Amino acid sequence: MSNTATLSTDNKQTWGGGKSPLSISYGKLMMWIFLLSDAFTFSSLLVAYGFVRFTFTTSLPNAIVKPFSHLSHTFTEEMQKAGMFVVERWPSPELVFNHFPFLHGIHLPLMFVSLMTFILIFSSVTMVLAVEAGHRMAKKEVEKYMIWTIIGGAAFLGCQAWEWTNLITEGASLQNNPFGPTAFAALFFIVTGFHGTHVLSGVILNIIIYINVVNGTYEKRGHYEMIEKVGLYWHFVDLVWVFVFTFFYLI
Amino acid sequence: MEHIEHLEHTESPANMKKQIWNTFFVLLVLTVVDIALYFALLSNHSIYKNILFVFLGLVKAFYIVSVFMHMKFERKFLASIIILPMLFICFLIWLALTEAGYTFDSRLF
Repeated sequence: MSNTATLSTDNKQTWGGGKSPLSISYGKLMMWIFLLSDAFTFSSLLVAYGFVRFTFTTSLPNAIVKPFSHLSHTFTEEMQKAGMFVVERWPSPELVFNHFPFLHGIHLPLMFVSLMTFILIFSSVTMVLAVEAGHRMAKKEVEKYMIWTIIGGAAFLGCQAWEWTNLITEGASLQNNPFGPTAFAALFFIVTGFHGTHVLSGVILNIIIYINVVNGTYEKRGHYEMIEKVGLYWHFVDLVWVFVFTFFYLI
Repeated sequence: MEHIEHLEHTESPANMKKQIWNTFFVLLVLTVVDIALYFALLSNHSIYKNILFVFLGLVKAFYIVSVFMHMKFERKFLASIIILPMLFICFLIWLALTEAGYTFDSRLF
C-alpha cells in the first residue's frame, strides 16, 4: 500500500509542474521536436527517391559501359546498338561518381564521396568534443573544437560544390542526365542540395556560436548549453548524410 | 548582478571522451565496410544487397543518435517521443515501394 502511495506522489512530482519531467531544458526539447519534423522531410525525399528508383530496371552491365563513356556524344546510340536503352536503366553509382580533384580522367569510383563522408564524421566528432568541453566550462577547448567543426563543415560544402560543378559540366541538371533517366540527376540535386543547405545553415550557426564563445557569452550565462543545441542539429546533418550516402552512392 | 540560470539536464558518464572516440572508430569502420561491400557485390542486383546497406546505415544512425546526440543518457520517455513517430516512415516506405512496383509494371518507355 505504501508503495502505491510513493509511486503516485513520485508521479505527481514528475508531472506536477515546477520541473522538467524529461530532465531536459525547453530549448533542447524543442530542438529534438524540430529534428523529428526535419527527419520526416528528409524521409519523404528519400522515399520519393526509392519510389522512382523502383520504377526503373537495374543499371547497364558494368562489362559493357566503360568509365567516362557517357561523355561521348554517341553513347546513347552505341548502347542502343548493343540492345540497351539508356533512359530505361538506372545509372550505376560507380560510373557517375568516379572523379577526384586534380586527378582528371582517372577512374576512382566513390573515392571522393568517401572522403566527404569522413570529413563530415570527423566534424561531428569535434562537435561532440566541444559539447564535452562545454560541460567542463573549458572555454579554450570549446573554441578549439568549434574551429575544427567549422573547418570540417566548410570543407564538406567545398567538396559538394566541386562535385556539383563536375556533374553540371558533364551535362547533368534538373532536366537532363547523360547517365540515364532524368529523374536520377533531378533527385540527386534536390536531395543533396537540401542536405547541403542544412550543412550551410549548420556552419553559420556554428560560426555564431563560436563568436559567442570567444566573447564569453556562455561563460557569463553559467553554462554552455547552446553548444549542445546546435550540436544536436549538426549531428542530425551527419545522420542524414549517412542515408543520402547509402541511397545515392551505394544502392 | 549576473543572472545564472538553473539548468536541468542528464549527466554524461565519466568516460564520455572514450565513448566518443569509440563511436568515431565504429562509424569509420562501418563506412569502409560499406565501400568494400559495394565493390564486392557490384554485379549483384538482389534486394537483399539493398537491405544489407540500409541495415548498415541504421547501425551507423543508432551510434550517432545514442552517443553523439546523447540519447543513450537521456530519459527513455524522450527517446520514445522521438523514435516512435519514425515508425510511420516504415509505413510510407511499404506504401511507396508497393505502388512503385505497379508503376514499373505499367511502364511503356
